Amino acid sequence: MTGREALPHYVESTRLQHFVNYEVVGKSALRVQRWRDQWKLATRRPRPDSPLSPPLRCVAYMKEIMSRHYLEGRYAAGVRKVAWVTSGAPTEPLQALGYFLVYPENHAALCGVRRKAQSIAEEAEHAGWSRDICSYARTDIGSMLSGKTPAGRLPRPDVLVCCTNICQTVLHWYRVLADYFGCPLVLIDTPFLFHEAHEHEVAYVKRQIEDMICVAEEIAGKSLHEKRFQDVMANARRGAELWLEILNRSQHRPAPMTAFDGFIHMGPIVDMRGEAVVVAYYERMLAELDERIDRGIGAIKNERYRVLWDNLPIWFKIGDLSKWLAERGVNVVASTYTYAWGELAPMIDPDHPLDSMARVYLHPILNRSTGHKLESMKRMVDEFELDGVILHSDRSCKPYSLGQIDQRDRLVKKLGVPALLLEADHNDPRDYAEEQGSNRLEAFVETMEARA
Amino acid sequence: MSTVAGHAPSFPSRREVIEHVRALGREVVAVMPIHYPRAMLRAHRLHPIEIWGPPRVPRVEGSRHFQAYTCDIVVKATSFVRSGGIAGTKAILVPHTCDALQGMASVLGDFLHPEQRVLTLYLPRGRRTSDRDFLREELQRLGAKLSEVSGHQPSRADWMEAFEAEDAADAALADLYRRRERLAVSDRHFYQVIRAREYLTAEQFCEAATAVPEGNRPRTGVGLMISGIVAEPLELFDQIEALGAHIVGDDLACGFRRVYSTSMRNDPFERSASRLLKGPPDPTCGTPVRDRIEALQTRMRALGARGLLVYDPKFCEPELFDVPLLRKHLHEAGFPVLHVEFEMGETLPHQTLSRIEAFVETLS
Repeated sequence: MTGREALPHYVESTRLQHFVNYEVVGKSALRVQRWRDQWKLATRRPRPDSPLSPPLRCVAYMKEIMSRHYLEGRYAAGVRKVAWVTSGAPTEPLQALGYFLVYPENHAALCGVRRKAQSIAEEAEHAGWSRDICSYARTDIGSMLSGKTPAGRLPRPDVLVCCTNICQTVLHWYRVLADYFGCPLVLIDTPFLFHEAHEHEVAYVKRQIEDMICVAEEIAGKSLHEKRFQDVMANARRGAELWLEILNRSQHRPAPMTAFDGFIHMGPIVDMRGEAVVVAYYERMLAELDERIDRGIGAIKNERYRVLWDNLPIWFKIGDLSKWLAERGVNVVASTYTYAWGELAPMIDPDHPLDSMARVYLHPILNRSTGHKLESMKRMVDEFELDGVILHSDRSCKPYSLGQIDQRDRLVKKLGVPALLLEADHNDPRDYAEEQGSNRLEAFVETMEARA
Repeated sequence: MSTVAGHAPSFPSRREVIEHVRALGREVVAVMPIHYPRAMLRAHRLHPIEIWGPPRVPRVEGSRHFQAYTCDIVVKATSFVRSGGIAGTKAILVPHTCDALQGMASVLGDFLHPEQRVLTLYLPRGRRTSDRDFLREELQRLGAKLSEVSGHQPSRADWMEAFEAEDAADAALADLYRRRERLAVSDRHFYQVIRAREYLTAEQFCEAATAVPEGNRPRTGVGLMISGIVAEPLELFDQIEALGAHIVGDDLACGFRRVYSTSMRNDPFERSASRLLKGPPDPTCGTPVRDRIEALQTRMRALGARGLLVYDPKFCEPELFDVPLLRKHLHEAGFPVLHVEFEMGETLPHQTLSRIEAFVETLS
């Protein structure tokens, strides 16, 4: 008897669905959609009244890649093992073991961009979760309870992997998921770095990654293949390097892309880090940015002021803010948030995967001190020749936000850079006061004008 | 020796404790909540005095550094530090309890630069062998810093003396909880003694604990379990009694969650690590919510609690995530749950009391 004959009927059925709906119909339909998008982008006449340059052509590819990822998710259960992971989790071994990865944070952000987050988060609030907890968590818990999602359907996890290098919130959030789904939760606890990492901290993280691999192998029913693991690590490193190069292209004047573009285009490096398609996509994107630089095309038509964005974006306001600022000649050319997925690229060593992973996953900006973040901002102000800094005081993300008041004071008083603390939330529109926000941004622009 | 005013039990004030420990050749360290190695501080000739967001300190100074959505414990403690409240102490130790305390430690160390050294301690969120091994090394790192602060390198005898004293105080704390039903004191009195552990020496605490009288004090009305971080102001307990209820047990971070099991390991750092990892369920330590629920159910049944009052300071994420599941599962087990959030202040809002009153009525 062959292994195939031994498969239960429902596995055959899910495999068939996966093959037909994803491999054949889905992929083809998304390719056609991409051609249509490309055609639209190529033939659309630029609006003379728009302060923004036409979008990057590669956005059509990104849309295809991300849509394909979410589409596969709909049919992944029963075909591939599924892991739900935090955005800072060490996923390379899971990639190498063939897991399908779901990033609840990215899913929540998708809900935010599509302006569905509030109604989905309310499902969690009705079930008792407080509005004072992270709006990503509320969005995903609400989606889990109600099934509501703009992504169609998320596959049920076989395992949850939670890494605390972005916040402690994720641990509490994933405990709720583990309770609901009744599946194993693997914790990668990363000590917060007030200063440089100590060896015992690196060793602790490495040991936990090794433990995670054991659990993942057991669930997957196969062993991690060393060569495959190294390939994934090499792709992860190349993808992160390219992403960093892409972000650094905005050091040019005019900057060929905005940080708002960066928030959208970071999807592949977050969701599919380690896959070859990410490397191919970012090579394409980099080439297009270089073409823009050669032709002197900026992301906004009249770049007068260059600004840094600190913290997560306000997902439900990305388009509006981008346009509002561009109308005033403000290009948000860099962000501390998008940098987090690129700046550690040099630390990734495919020849020493576990050691380097332990170091990489200890060092995201969110796992480092408020003083380190200030130094990063100062460096970016210098390297990107910035005129101001917008610090998004994000009610939902306390580890990113606490410290911003002192960071802002030092940017203003010691560096002489105008800096604005903008009160909002990354996913909950109820925590953004439109009028107040506009007034503060207006005053911020006036301050930069006065200094010009 | 003066005593805390009113109908409070009699034990030394903070000022007297500071004078006392200095006379013993120890320096004082301010400590933020929740878990930390007490014996280790003592072995280094240091004495901890805890800061839980002093109630009579205005938020103003702390609000200059932290956003409005930051918990009161952090904002008020920062105000306290900035207004000279910990003057004369050698260091401030901030255990990594949550994102908010992480932010506080970072802002203090990077920007506010108090005259005291800012010490940190990362507490692992699991209970695995890797967590215990890590914590042991993390405590060793902290130990080196403590030696720098105190100028004292503990001898084996120092360690033994410190463990003996602190284990005795831990045992006295556990014993208080064991004897709770037989104690002839009000809930307020009981928690004044429990919370005196936050600043008394181990010996003073043992004395205060054994001085709590036993006897017949009929307890009428509805028995409640109280959960959360810290129950303030203490007037809360008077009001609960006035509403016809009483506290039969707690799951408070400032209370029962610090009833640690004693460890007898030889290595002092391993022993300290083992103690810290052997506490009751605590969401700030990453305890799975089911474990917490099971522990609560068992204790509530044993103690005769009719309902659970979850009493939290605003913006406490570790607590807030658990609340809906606590409510759901405990309700299914026949224990109604009331969740109340409060802002640390001197008075108890009428609205809070009304909610507790309605809750007690439903249980009566």
